[in-house]
Amino acid sequence: MAERRVTVQAEVGLHARPAATFVQTAAKAGIDVTLAKVGGQPVNAKSILSVLALDVRQGENVVISAEGDGAEELVETLAAIASAP
Amino acid sequence: MPDTAALPLDPRAVLLDAVAADRDDAIRQCGRALLNVGAIEEPYIETMIERERSLSTYVGEEVAIPHGTVLGKDTVHHDAICVVRFPAGVDWDGNRVTVCVGIAAKGDGHVRLLSELAQILLAPDRARALRESADTAGVLRLLQPIGEDSEE
Repeated sequence: MAERRVTVQAEVGLHARPAATFVQTAAKAGIDVTLAKVGGQPVNAKSILSVLALDVRQGENVVISAEGDGAEELVETLAAIASAP
Repeated sequence: MPDTAALPLDPRAVLLDAVAADRDDAIRQCGRALLNVGAIEEPYIETMIERERSLSTYVGEEVAIPHGTVLGKDTVHHDAICVVRFPAGVDWDGNRVTVCVGIAAKGDGHVRLLSELAQILLAPDRARALRESADTAGVLRLLQPIGEDSEE
Protein backbone atom coordinates (compact mmCIF):
# COMPACT_ATOMS: atom_id res chain seq x y z
CA MET A 1 0.00 0.00 0.00
CA ALA A 2 1.39 3.37 -1.05
CA GLU A 3 0.17 6.37 0.86
CA ARG A 4 0.86 10.11 0.91
CA ARG A 5 -0.49 12.74 3.22
CA VAL A 6 -0.48 16.30 1.89
CA THR A 7 -1.94 19.71 2.61
CA VAL A 8 -4.13 21.14 -0.12
CA GLN A 9 -2.65 24.48 -1.15
CA ALA A 10 -4.85 25.72 -3.97
CA GLU A 11 -7.04 28.67 -3.06
CA VAL A 12 -10.11 26.90 -4.45
CA GLY A 13 -9.29 23.74 -2.47
CA LEU A 14 -9.74 20.43 -4.26
CA HIS A 15 -12.45 21.86 -6.53
CA ALA A 16 -12.62 23.27 -10.05
CA ARG A 17 -9.43 22.76 -12.05
CA PRO A 18 -7.33 21.11 -9.31
CA ALA A 19 -10.14 18.58 -8.78
CA ALA A 20 -10.50 17.96 -12.51
CA THR A 21 -6.76 17.45 -13.00
CA PHE A 22 -6.59 15.20 -9.94
CA VAL A 23 -9.48 12.98 -11.06
CA GLN A 24 -8.35 12.81 -14.70
CA THR A 25 -4.90 11.68 -13.59
CA ALA A 26 -6.32 9.11 -11.14
CA ALA A 27 -8.75 7.79 -13.75
CA LYS A 28 -5.89 6.96 -16.15
CA ALA A 29 -4.36 4.57 -13.63
CA GLY A 30 -5.08 0.87 -13.90
CA ILE A 31 -5.24 0.42 -10.14
CA ASP A 32 -7.64 1.53 -7.42
CA VAL A 33 -6.79 4.81 -5.71
CA THR A 34 -8.58 6.58 -2.89
CA LEU A 35 -8.69 10.03 -1.35
CA ALA A 36 -9.68 10.79 2.24
CA LYS A 37 -9.60 13.61 4.72
CA VAL A 38 -7.37 12.70 7.66
CA GLY A 39 -9.43 10.35 9.84
CA GLY A 40 -12.27 10.29 7.32
CA GLN A 41 -13.77 7.68 5.01
CA PRO A 42 -11.78 7.16 1.80
CA VAL A 43 -13.58 7.85 -1.47
CA ASN A 44 -12.85 6.80 -5.05
CA ALA A 45 -10.24 9.26 -6.36
CA LYS A 46 -11.35 8.52 -9.96
CA SER A 47 -14.84 9.98 -9.42
CA ILE A 48 -15.25 13.74 -9.78
CA LEU A 49 -18.53 13.50 -7.85
CA SER A 50 -16.84 11.74 -4.93
CA VAL A 51 -14.01 14.24 -4.85
CA LEU A 52 -16.36 17.25 -5.04
CA ALA A 53 -18.62 15.75 -2.36
CA LEU A 54 -15.62 15.35 -0.05
CA ASP A 55 -15.38 19.16 -0.15
CA VAL A 56 -11.68 19.62 0.58
CA ARG A 57 -10.79 23.25 1.26
CA GLN A 58 -7.47 25.09 1.16
CA GLY A 59 -5.28 24.12 4.13
CA GLU A 60 -6.95 20.77 4.78
CA ASN A 61 -4.92 17.58 4.95
CA VAL A 62 -5.77 14.64 2.75
CA VAL A 63 -4.48 11.07 2.42
CA ILE A 64 -4.03 9.50 -1.01
CA SER A 65 -3.74 5.70 -1.08
CA ALA A 66 -3.21 3.14 -3.81
CA GLU A 67 -2.17 -0.48 -4.04
CA GLY A 68 -0.72 -2.46 -6.93
CA ASP A 69 1.54 -1.88 -9.91
CA GLY A 70 2.79 1.70 -10.04
CA ALA A 71 1.09 2.68 -6.77
CA GLU A 72 4.13 4.59 -5.48
CA GLU A 73 4.43 6.73 -8.61
CA LEU A 74 0.69 7.29 -8.75
CA VAL A 75 0.30 8.57 -5.20
CA GLU A 76 3.41 10.70 -5.72
CA THR A 77 1.92 12.30 -8.83
CA LEU A 78 -1.49 12.83 -7.21
CA ALA A 79 0.09 14.24 -4.05
CA ALA A 80 1.92 16.79 -6.19
CA ILE A 81 -1.35 17.83 -7.86
CA ALA A 82 -3.24 18.06 -4.56
CA SER A 83 -0.54 20.13 -2.91
CA ALA A 84 0.13 22.46 -5.85
CA PRO A 85 -0.63 26.10 -5.00
CA MET B 1 -19.65 13.78 5.42
CA PRO B 2 -20.92 17.33 5.92
CA ASP B 3 -24.63 17.79 6.49
CA THR B 4 -26.73 18.50 3.47
CA ALA B 5 -28.57 21.80 3.69
CA ALA B 6 -31.46 22.72 1.43
CA LEU B 7 -30.31 23.98 -1.93
CA PRO B 8 -31.65 27.41 -2.96
CA LEU B 9 -34.03 26.24 -5.69
CA ASP B 10 -37.04 28.33 -6.74
CA PRO B 11 -39.82 26.19 -8.30
CA ARG B 12 -39.92 28.67 -11.21
CA ALA B 13 -36.32 27.70 -11.97
CA VAL B 14 -37.26 24.06 -12.61
CA LEU B 15 -37.85 23.28 -16.30
CA LEU B 16 -38.53 19.61 -16.94
CA ASP B 17 -38.94 19.51 -20.69
CA ALA B 18 -36.50 21.79 -22.49
CA VAL B 19 -34.84 21.34 -25.88
CA ALA B 20 -31.38 22.69 -26.67
CA ALA B 21 -29.59 22.94 -30.01
CA ASP B 22 -26.19 22.45 -28.40
CA ARG B 23 -24.20 22.82 -25.19
CA ASP B 24 -23.98 26.62 -25.25
CA ASP B 25 -27.73 26.89 -25.91
CA ALA B 26 -28.37 24.63 -22.90
CA ILE B 27 -26.13 26.81 -20.72
CA ARG B 28 -27.92 29.98 -21.89
CA GLN B 29 -31.27 28.42 -20.98
CA CYS B 30 -29.91 27.73 -17.48
CA GLY B 31 -28.71 31.32 -17.31
CA ARG B 32 -32.15 32.61 -18.30
CA ALA B 33 -33.80 30.45 -15.63
CA LEU B 34 -31.48 32.02 -13.02
CA LEU B 35 -32.18 35.46 -14.50
CA ASN B 36 -35.95 34.90 -14.32
CA VAL B 37 -35.82 34.30 -10.56
CA GLY B 38 -33.73 37.43 -10.02
CA ALA B 39 -30.57 35.60 -8.94
CA ILE B 40 -28.25 37.15 -11.52
CA GLU B 41 -27.81 39.93 -14.05
CA GLU B 42 -27.57 39.04 -17.70
CA PRO B 43 -23.76 39.34 -18.07
CA TYR B 44 -23.36 36.35 -15.72
CA ILE B 45 -24.64 34.09 -18.50
CA GLU B 46 -21.65 34.74 -20.77
CA THR B 47 -19.28 33.95 -17.92
CA MET B 48 -21.05 30.57 -17.62
CA ILE B 49 -20.20 29.88 -21.27
CA GLU B 50 -16.59 31.03 -20.74
CA ARG B 51 -16.25 28.80 -17.72
CA GLU B 52 -17.50 25.79 -19.70
CA ARG B 53 -15.03 26.47 -22.53
CA SER B 54 -12.13 26.59 -20.10
CA LEU B 55 -13.21 23.59 -17.98
CA SER B 56 -16.15 21.25 -18.51
CA THR B 57 -18.72 21.10 -15.73
CA TYR B 58 -19.89 17.61 -16.75
CA VAL B 59 -19.88 15.47 -13.59
CA GLY B 60 -21.28 12.13 -14.79
CA GLU B 61 -24.77 10.60 -14.42
CA GLU B 62 -25.83 12.66 -17.50
CA VAL B 63 -25.55 15.79 -15.35
CA ALA B 64 -23.66 19.04 -15.98
CA ILE B 65 -23.44 21.86 -13.47
CA PRO B 66 -22.78 25.06 -15.42
CA HIS B 67 -21.77 28.10 -13.37
CA GLY B 68 -20.01 31.39 -13.94
CA THR B 69 -16.43 32.49 -13.43
CA VAL B 70 -14.99 34.69 -10.71
CA LEU B 71 -15.41 37.59 -13.15
CA GLY B 72 -19.17 37.05 -13.04
CA LYS B 73 -19.46 37.22 -9.25
CA ASP B 74 -20.42 40.90 -9.27
CA THR B 75 -23.48 40.05 -11.35
CA VAL B 76 -24.89 37.59 -8.79
CA HIS B 77 -27.63 38.96 -6.52
CA HIS B 78 -28.15 35.86 -4.41
CA ASP B 79 -27.16 32.19 -4.37
CA ALA B 80 -29.49 30.08 -6.47
CA ILE B 81 -29.64 26.93 -8.54
CA CYS B 82 -31.86 25.95 -11.44
CA VAL B 83 -32.73 22.55 -12.85
CA VAL B 84 -33.24 22.37 -16.60
CA ARG B 85 -33.88 18.95 -18.11
CA PHE B 86 -33.27 18.03 -21.73
CA PRO B 87 -34.99 14.66 -22.24
CA ALA B 88 -33.65 14.34 -25.81
CA GLY B 89 -30.11 14.82 -24.51
CA VAL B 90 -27.46 17.41 -25.30
CA ASP B 91 -24.00 16.54 -26.62
CA TRP B 92 -21.61 17.84 -23.98
CA ASP B 93 -18.15 17.48 -25.52
CA GLY B 94 -18.86 13.83 -26.26
CA ASN B 95 -20.91 13.11 -23.14
CA ARG B 96 -24.71 12.92 -23.11
CA VAL B 97 -26.37 15.38 -20.74
CA THR B 98 -30.06 15.24 -19.84
CA VAL B 99 -29.98 17.38 -16.69
CA CYS B 100 -28.32 20.75 -16.16
CA VAL B 101 -28.11 22.15 -12.66
CA GLY B 102 -27.14 25.77 -13.18
CA ILE B 103 -25.48 27.52 -10.26
CA ALA B 104 -25.21 31.17 -9.28
CA ALA B 105 -23.26 32.02 -6.15
CA LYS B 106 -21.54 34.91 -4.48
CA GLY B 107 -18.04 34.52 -3.05
CA ASP B 108 -17.16 30.86 -2.76
CA GLY B 109 -20.79 29.88 -2.12
CA HIS B 110 -20.80 27.70 -5.23
CA VAL B 111 -18.27 25.38 -3.59
CA ARG B 112 -20.80 24.46 -0.89
CA LEU B 113 -23.57 24.11 -3.48
CA LEU B 114 -21.43 21.89 -5.72
CA SER B 115 -20.42 19.71 -2.83
CA GLU B 116 -24.00 19.25 -1.65
CA LEU B 117 -25.18 18.55 -5.17
CA ALA B 118 -22.39 16.01 -5.64
CA GLN B 119 -23.50 14.20 -2.49
CA ILE B 120 -27.02 13.91 -3.90
CA LEU B 121 -25.81 12.70 -7.31
CA LEU B 122 -23.54 10.07 -5.74
CA ALA B 123 -26.64 8.10 -4.76
CA PRO B 124 -27.64 6.42 -8.05
CA ASP B 125 -31.34 6.30 -7.09
CA ARG B 126 -31.38 10.03 -6.39
CA ALA B 127 -29.50 10.80 -9.61
CA ARG B 128 -32.08 8.72 -11.50
CA ALA B 129 -34.92 10.51 -9.70
CA LEU B 130 -33.45 13.84 -10.79
CA ARG B 131 -33.46 12.65 -14.41
CA GLU B 132 -36.88 11.01 -14.29
CA SER B 133 -39.03 12.79 -11.70
CA ALA B 134 -42.42 13.42 -13.30
CA ASP B 135 -43.07 16.81 -11.71
CA THR B 136 -41.44 19.90 -10.24
CA ALA B 137 -42.45 18.88 -6.73
CA GLY B 138 -40.43 15.69 -7.09
CA VAL B 139 -37.32 17.65 -8.07
CA LEU B 140 -37.81 20.06 -5.17
CA ARG B 141 -38.19 17.18 -2.70
CA LEU B 142 -34.99 15.63 -4.00
CA LEU B 143 -32.89 18.78 -3.70
CA GLN B 144 -34.53 20.21 -0.58
CA PRO B 145 -34.98 17.14 1.61
CA ILE B 146 -37.40 17.82 4.44
CA GLY B 147 -36.24 16.84 7.91
CA GLU B 148 -32.54 16.85 7.08
CA ASP B 149 -31.64 20.06 8.82
CA SER B 150 -28.11 21.35 8.57
CA GLU B 151 -26.28 21.87 11.79
CA GLU B 152 -24.49 24.86 10.34
